[in-house]
Amino acid sequence: MILRYLARRLFLLGFVFVALTIFVFSLNYLFPGDLVSNLTGLRDISPEQHQELQQTLGLNQSIWQQYIEYNRRLFAGDWGLSFSSQQSVLTEIGKVLPATLELTSYALCLSLLVGIPLGLLAAVKKDSLLDKCISSVALVGYSMPVFWLALICIMLFSLQLGWLPTSGRLGVLFEVPAQTGFIFIDILLAPQIDRSAAAYNALLHLTLPTLILASYPTNVMIRFVRHSMVDVLDQNYIKTARAKGLSRGQVLYRHGLRNALLPVTRQVGLQFSSLITLAMLTEVIFSWPGIGQWLIDSIYQRNYPAIQAGLLVVSSLVICVNMLTEIVHTLFNPLARKL
Amino acid sequence: MKKLRLYYEEYNKKPYQLLWKHFVPQHFALFGLIILSVLLLLAVISPFISPHDPYQQNAELLLLAPSWQGSGLVSYPFGTDDLGRDLMSRLMLGASYSFGLAILAVCGSMLIGLLLGALAGMTRGVQSSIFNHLLDLALTIPSLLLAIVIVAVLGPGLLNTIWAIMLALLPQFIHGVGNAIQEQLKQDYVVAYRLDGANNWQILWSVVLPNLWEPLSLLFTMALSTAILDIAALGFLGLGAQAPTPEWGSMVADALDSIYLAPWTVALPGLLIFITVLSINLVGDGLHKAMKKRRGS
Repeated sequence: MILRYLARRLFLLGFVFVALTIFVFSLNYLFPGDLVSNLTGLRDISPEQHQELQQTLGLNQSIWQQYIEYNRRLFAGDWGLSFSSQQSVLTEIGKVLPATLELTSYALCLSLLVGIPLGLLAAVKKDSLLDKCISSVALVGYSMPVFWLALICIMLFSLQLGWLPTSGRLGVLFEVPAQTGFIFIDILLAPQIDRSAAAYNALLHLTLPTLILASYPTNVMIRFVRHSMVDVLDQNYIKTARAKGLSRGQVLYRHGLRNALLPVTRQVGLQFSSLITLAMLTEVIFSWPGIGQWLIDSIYQRNYPAIQAGLLVVSSLVICVNMLTEIVHTLFNPLARKL
Repeated sequence: MKKLRLYYEEYNKKPYQLLWKHFVPQHFALFGLIILSVLLLLAVISPFISPHDPYQQNAELLLLAPSWQGSGLVSYPFGTDDLGRDLMSRLMLGASYSFGLAILAVCGSMLIGLLLGALAGMTRGVQSSIFNHLLDLALTIPSLLLAIVIVAVLGPGLLNTIWAIMLALLPQFIHGVGNAIQEQLKQDYVVAYRLDGANNWQILWSVVLPNLWEPLSLLFTMALSTAILDIAALGFLGLGAQAPTPEWGSMVADALDSIYLAPWTVALPGLLIFITVLSINLVGDGLHKAMKKRRGS
């Protein structure tokens, strides 16, 4: 049963990836500029080279063969060169992606750690003063434009109070060679530096962007968990459990919490896409060297191969996370396993 | 007089009146609705009532403070920006770009979404399954990324970002409408109608659609707040509205250079975005609660 479900999901995943690559492939034709240079990322192509490249890229064949050829190159790791640096796009993404993953995963964890308890608290104490406070704070945070919030926080905490740095991942005093791209691991691996001081400095740099990025998903989570828990507490089985003589805590833990948190696993996957969007904005504001800033820079530079590759990588990431949370949700929830 | 009436007449209020009755006691939501109406009015008539020309630069009045500060002038209530343009006029005109265009985008997206969602909701089997999976794909591409791709193809500009936002909102609408229609099709009155011999089209037109306005209005408020935030974010990144256009997000980005000298030029547009989105969410929440109560009553 579960194997059949997984096979179905995997098939679906394959289908979605085919659709995604078709979309990305068609962008080569839609972007302005020469097709050959869009595909390879080479800028100055001589006429002879142009002929030769057309041959190797299979451009004189039918469009389906071109697409298959394109996929072959994707799998071989030949994603073309970046227009601006003339380096392989894939290695550039390898440098910037860890920074984004770091930022988003911390923000996601923070939003879960703060959002779920607060949402539960608000639902359990429904219509009390506490609930009203939490709900209104969540509503305010939910409506805040993230770039504006970031600017205000920079003004307040970095410029007025001077507690936190304004931008970047690490102070210039620390020379940490990028090996994995994850800053704390890099600090551990770096030779001859004061590791604790560097880690503290990295933590300071991380604080503000993470808090800003987490603000929106946290508030969404509070609202969602509260709604879900209130719905569950209205159900008849809760009344039954109370009537059986279970204590309040037992009812909440055994019957309330488990059922209310089920849709939350799914919500995490759905939130991931908006989290990536916000991460791009946050990265631009805090000069965080992640994939969001890299993509925004690419668009200013009309760097089409980079935009394509970024689209492919970010969408794949979001799709995989979505699929994963969907599978986890199904594993935990027998009701969702209808085939 | 009412108490003196001997024969108590049965009087059922119309659904809209009932909804309004449950909406009004929620003061915050009502307040949000008032703000939204004012903004809507501003979006339509701001070009005619703005006190100064929003594009007129005045070299003698650069970075004038708002009038509540000592150095401000009463004729420039919110001060001027770094080119000496009246901030109040720009903010008022910005309502039609940030708020008005968002409404248009959401309306357009909703119409197309209604059409495709009806198709998705009424069909079954392989057709609907393929359609739904394609939608899932579209839902997973982050809206900003989609906008970036569209801007890369068409070039930056306010209109192009509107297309992008419409496209990004579309999957939500199709999904929402499709689910709502599926929900409706399970109802007994639909079955009764079908037994009367109504075909799919008649059921959709005369039974399902009139019952859709509730989920649609909730979807609309949600999409509207997303659209406003997205338009502002794209404007802020310089991909949306271009330089002289007084769109709120791009105004924040323009004023960043003078954030030390004139913090109000950054604070006010951002505050307006915040207030707009907040009141939309208040109205959305209020509607949701009122609908629940109306069902309960």
